[in-house]
Amino acid sequence: MSYALNEVEALAKRAVRGAGMSWGTAEEAAKATRWLCRNGIDGAGVLSALLDHNQGKAEQDLRPIETSRIWRAVDDAQLCSLQAGAALSDGALKLKDASITMQRLSFPALLLPFMASAAAQLNCVLVLECDAGSASTDGNLLGLSNDALLQATSADVVIRIGDLTGNILSQVSRAKPAPEAWDTLNTYAHKTYAPATEASRLAGAGAGLSDND
Amino acid sequence: MGTSVQNSIPRRDPALVMRLSRLGSMHQCRLSFMRVLTRRLANENWSFARPVFDVDAKGVGHAVYTATGPARTYSLVAFAHDLPPEERSDRVIATAWDATFTLFDGVPTADDIERLSHNIPYQEAGRVNEKSLSVSRANRSVRLWKHMVDALAKGEQPDVDKVASVGYLMRTTAVYGSGKLGAADHETLADRPEFDAPFQAEMLSVFLTRAFVRDMINHMARARGGAQAAELALDIAHGLGIGNSTGLGMAPFLINHPVLLNNWVAAREEAIARVRSLNTAQEAEANLFRSLFARVQVLVETWRSEHPVQIKKLVALKADLEKVEAYLGGDDLTANSPWDRLLNWTSAALSEEGQELIASLILEPYGELVDDLSPAMSDHRPDASRILGTMSVKATRNLMRAGYAQALETDWSAKENCARAWYVSEEKLEPRLGERFEEPIAEYEQPLSPGRDVALAFADLKIWDDDAPVSEFLLNHPEHRHSIRRVQINACAPYSEIQDNTICADMMPIDMLRYKLATFGATHFDPRSDRWLRICMFGNAPYPEELTPENADLWVYPDAEGNS
Repeated sequence: MSYALNEVEALAKRAVRGAGMSWGTAEEAAKATRWLCRNGIDGAGVLSALLDHNQGKAEQDLRPIETSRIWRAVDDAQLCSLQAGAALSDGALKLKDASITMQRLSFPALLLPFMASAAAQLNCVLVLECDAGSASTDGNLLGLSNDALLQATSADVVIRIGDLTGNILSQVSRAKPAPEAWDTLNTYAHKTYAPATEASRLAGAGAGLSDND
Repeated sequence: MGTSVQNSIPRRDPALVMRLSRLGSMHQCRLSFMRVLTRRLANENWSFARPVFDVDAKGVGHAVYTATGPARTYSLVAFAHDLPPEERSDRVIATAWDATFTLFDGVPTADDIERLSHNIPYQEAGRVNEKSLSVSRANRSVRLWKHMVDALAKGEQPDVDKVASVGYLMRTTAVYGSGKLGAADHETLADRPEFDAPFQAEMLSVFLTRAFVRDMINHMARARGGAQAAELALDIAHGLGIGNSTGLGMAPFLINHPVLLNNWVAAREEAIARVRSLNTAQEAEANLFRSLFARVQVLVETWRSEHPVQIKKLVALKADLEKVEAYLGGDDLTANSPWDRLLNWTSAALSEEGQELIASLILEPYGELVDDLSPAMSDHRPDASRILGTMSVKATRNLMRAGYAQALETDWSAKENCARAWYVSEEKLEPRLGERFEEPIAEYEQPLSPGRDVALAFADLKIWDDDAPVSEFLLNHPEHRHSIRRVQINACAPYSEIQDNTICADMMPIDMLRYKLATFGATHFDPRSDRWLRICMFGNAPYPEELTPENADLWVYPDAEGNS
C-alpha cells in the first residue's frame, strides 16, 4: 500500500514521542523520515529499527557528549542518529572548516536527512563515508555508492564537504513502507494515545447541545 | 510575505491581534478561502456538470459532479446512504453518515467509482490514493430535511422561517485533505494555480457538495410525491449553505502550523493596513461600503445561537452596528484617511466582534488593492522549521521576551493556569481536552501550550552564558527543542503564536475554531459547548452553474430582503 508523505511524517512524530523522546526530537525525526521516503528510501523501516534499538535508553544517554572534531556518546555507547543528526544540523557551520567524525553511529541512513539540512545551510554538497559505502547530498538530491549504507546498523562515519556522486536517487511523492515497519511505528505511536474512558468520551470533545437535530 | 505597497499605517500589533478573545471574534473577509475560490472559478469561467446521479427512492446511490477549469477537471464523487437515526452523530467517533464524499483529481472511471465505493463510505476505516484530494462526510439536519421533503412532496414550498432558522440541509462533520487517509499531499499539487491559496480543494469539495444536497432534496421529494412534488424554489435554495460541525481538531491544527497561522493573519493585517493607509476614498468606494454595511446587518440579524457566550456577543454586536450606523450618518468616508479614522474609532467604541467585522468590511471596496495577498496565505517556507543553532542564548532570550511577554509573566505553578491538557484519545484518535488534575492524561499531553513551554525554556536558559550558541543549550536540553524552534519561527513570523494561555481553566477552545472557520469564510458561528461549534458555509452563494464574475464575490452579504 502507498502512503502520503504527510501520513509518514505524522506517524513518525507520534512514534518517536511514543518511544520516549522529546517532542522536538520527534519533529526532527518526522521530517527526516519524510525526507528519506521522498528520496525513495523506506524511512519508516529505518526509523522503526532505530526505535527498537534505542529501547530502554534515555534521550540524554543517546546524544553526543563531545561535538568538536570527533563525536561520541557517553561511555562510548552507540550514538543515536536522531540526536547526532539534530546536533549536526544545528552546528552545520562547523563543517565549513573541517570534517566531522561520528563514532559508533547507529543507523547512519537516518543521519542523511540531517546532513541534507546542513548542506542546505552551507549551500554546498556534503559527503558521508563509512565502511559500508558513501552518500552525498546537496540538501535535496541524494547520491549513494551502494545500498549497503542503508542497511548498516552501526558505523564510524566521516562527514565532509565534497561532490554529488554515486547513484542519484529519483524522488517520489508516495511512501511504500514495509508493513511490519509501519506496524511497529503504530505500536510506538499508540503509546501517545490516552485510553478512552466514558468520562473523556463525553467531556473531552463533545457534550453540550445535541448533535442530532 | 512581500509588501508591494508602502503603507503609512503599520499592521496591527500581534500582541493585540493574537489574543484568543479577538481571534474568537473574527469575521470572513475578501481573503477568506471560500471567496478566493468562487472568484477564481468565475473569473476563469469554470464549467460544471453532473454526469452521474444514480440514487434510488430510498436515497441510496452515488453521484458525480465535475468542475472543469482552464487546465484540469475535478470531480466530487458523492455516496448517499440510508442512515438509521440512532447512528447519526457529528463526532469524530461516528462510523456512519448520511452522505460521504471525495474530491477526485480528474474524472473517475467505473473502476475508480467501484474502488471508492468500498472506501469512502467508511471514511477513516477506508483508504484512498493520490487521485483523491479530500475525503469528507455530511449528516442531514433532521428537523429541516424532514420538513422540506414533506412540503416539497406535497407540492408546497418549505416554511422560509424554518429554513432560515437552520440555514442548511446537511452539515459536513469532517473534510479531510492533504495526505489524510492516503489522499494526495498538498505539496504534490502546489504548482497548480487553482491551489495557490490554502484549502482550495476542500472548499471546492464543499461548494459542489452544496449542489448535491440541493439535488438530493428535490430527488427525495419527487420519490415521495411523484408528479405532484414541487421543485425547491431558487430563492430558498440560495439561502441554504452547507453546515459544518467543528470539534477540537482545528485548535491543534492552528498551533501545529505556526507559519500558516502567521500567513493567514498577516495577509489580512496587511490588507487592513493598505486600506487604512489610503488618504481618500472615491464616492463609489464609500457607497459600496455603506451598502454592504446595510447587508451585513441583515446577515447578523439571521445569526442565531443558543450558547450563552455567543448570545451575549451577538447582543453587543448588534449594539455595535447601531453605533456604526450613527457614525456613518456623520461622515461621508471620502476624506482625511477615512478608513483609518473609522478603525481608530471602532477600537474605542465597539466590542471585538464589532471591531473585527468592520475591519473585514473596509477591505470590500478594494479588491484590486488586497486580493493579490491570497497566495501568500499558503506556507511557502518548508525550511522555516530548521533551527538556527548559531543564534546566541542572549538573542534567543530577547526573542522570548518580545514574542512571549504574556507567557513569561504567567505563574505556571498556579493550578488554574495549567488546569487543562490537550491529548489524543485512542478512540479514533479524537483530539480532546481534559482536566490535568482530575484525569490521568498528563503523560499523554500534546505540545499545545507554547506559552508554558517557552516559559520553561526561558527558565532553563537563565544560567547559560549570553554568548553561548543555542545549539549547545539544545544538546543539553532536547526537551526544549520544540520551543526554541517556535521562538525562532516567531522571530520572522510575528503572528505565528496565539498570545494567550491555551491550557488555563477558563480557556474557550471555540475561539480557535472560530478563527479558523472565519478564515475559511464561514458565517453564523453557533457554539454548541465550549469545545465545538456549528457554522454555515456558502450560504447565499450562487450554485455552480449560476456562477458569474458579477455574483462570485459579494454573495456572502444577503440583500435587504435576505436573499442573495
